Amino acid sequence: MAYKPQYGPGTSNVAANRRKQMDPNQKLEKMRDVTDEDIVLILGHRAPGAAYPTAHPPLAEQQEPDCPIRKIVTPTDGAKAGDRIRYIQFADSMFFAPSQPYQRTYTECYRFRGIDPGTLSGRQIVECRERDLEKYSKELINTELLDPARTGIRGATVHGHSLRLAENGMMFDMLQRSVLGEDGIVRYVKNQIGEPLDRAVPIGKPLDEKWLKAHTTIFHSLGGTPYRDDAEYIEYVQRIHTLRTKYGFLPME
Amino acid sequence: MTDAIYPQVRIVSARFLRPDTVERLLNRIIQVGGIRRMSLNGQNLPATVPYGPARGKPNPHPDRKAIRVGDQEVQLRVQVGTIILELEDESYIPAIGEAVDEVFADKDFSCIVQKGRYMKTQPTLSDYAKYGPDADSEILGLVDPRRKDGPVIIQGTK
Repeated sequence: MAYKPQYGPGTSNVAANRRKQMDPNQKLEKMRDVTDEDIVLILGHRAPGAAYPTAHPPLAEQQEPDCPIRKIVTPTDGAKAGDRIRYIQFADSMFFAPSQPYQRTYTECYRFRGIDPGTLSGRQIVECRERDLEKYSKELINTELLDPARTGIRGATVHGHSLRLAENGMMFDMLQRSVLGEDGIVRYVKNQIGEPLDRAVPIGKPLDEKWLKAHTTIFHSLGGTPYRDDAEYIEYVQRIHTLRTKYGFLPME
Repeated sequence: MTDAIYPQVRIVSARFLRPDTVERLLNRIIQVGGIRRMSLNGQNLPATVPYGPARGKPNPHPDRKAIRVGDQEVQLRVQVGTIILELEDESYIPAIGEAVDEVFADKDFSCIVQKGRYMKTQPTLSDYAKYGPDADSEILGLVDPRRKDGPVIIQGTK
C-alpha cells in the first residue's frame, strides 16, 4: 500500500485546520488580492520593476560539476537565474491568528521548494531565492494563512505576538507598520523592516472573531479550544516524549 | 520609595488603550482624589527606530502623543496597558472601581482594578549600581531616574 501522510494527530477543529494548511493537496482559501507590486513594496528587498540582483551567474551559463544529485533535483526559477537569497518574516498573535510559527514551517515545507525556514517562539522567517520568495509570499499573504490584524509582516522588531491586542483589535507593533484606517481597511505604511513606503499598501479588512476562532491553528484555553480537550493530540505528544526519554536511557527498548 | 502604609491599586484593561481613552480614564480617576502617585505602564513607543536595518530613522506613531490630565499636559511614551496608583488610604478604592466601570461601560472589553503592592519599597543592588546613591527615590522603580524630564505634578485635586 502506498504511503499516505497523515500530517498530524488530533480530533479537534484546531487539529483539522493544521492538517488542512499542511496538506498540499488541499487548496487554501483565497481571502484577498494583494498585487505583485504591493508585495515587492512590503518585502522591501528591491524597487518594484527593478531587475533581480544576482548572487552568481545563471546556471545555464556556468559549468556545473558532474554531480548525480544535480541531475535529480530540478532547480527552482530563482536558483536557475542565480538570484540572491532574501526573506519574509511573520509574527502571529496568540489571540487566534490563523497560523503560528511551527505551523508555518510545516506548511511551507510541504507546499514550497527550495526554502530555508527559521522557527522561533514569536516569529517565523523563511528564506529563499528572491524570485521564488515573491511567488511564495503572494500565497502566504493572499490566502487564509494571514489575518491583516493578527498577523504582522515584520522583518525586524517583531515584538507583539504575546501581548494584549490594541483597542481596535490590531496586534501591538512598536513600529506601527500597518494601520487600521477609518474605513476598516488595514494598510501597510512601512515595509517589513520599518522603512516608510511611498504609498500605503492596502491588504484588506481584518477577519472577524468568529472566522478566526473557526480557522485558528492555536490551542487556547481562554475562549478557544483547550489543548487538553484533544485527547488524541495529547496521547501522540506523550508517546513521542516517552520514546525520546526512554531512548536516551535505554536504546534497546 | 513608597511607604508601606499607603495602599496601591493597579488598573488592568484587556486591551491596550488609545490615548483618548487614557485621557478620559485619568481625568475621571483624578476626580475621585486621594492619589499620591501614579504610573502609566505599557509597551515602549520610541521616537526613533532603536535597532534593526532601519535604526535611527524616525518612528512616527499615532499613539505617542500628549494628553491633557487635569491642568497638565502628559506626553505618552508607551502604549498604556496598566495604570498603577498609590492612594492616601483604602477608602478611595471602591470609588476608583466605579470610575473605571463608568469609563469602560461602552467598550466591548473589560478592565479590572486589583489591590496589591506594585511599586518598589527599597532600592536593589542593581539600582544602586545603575543610578548611584543619589537617585531620586520617589520615582525609582517606576521610571528611569536619569531621565531629564521629571514627573508631572497634577495639582488642585484636594
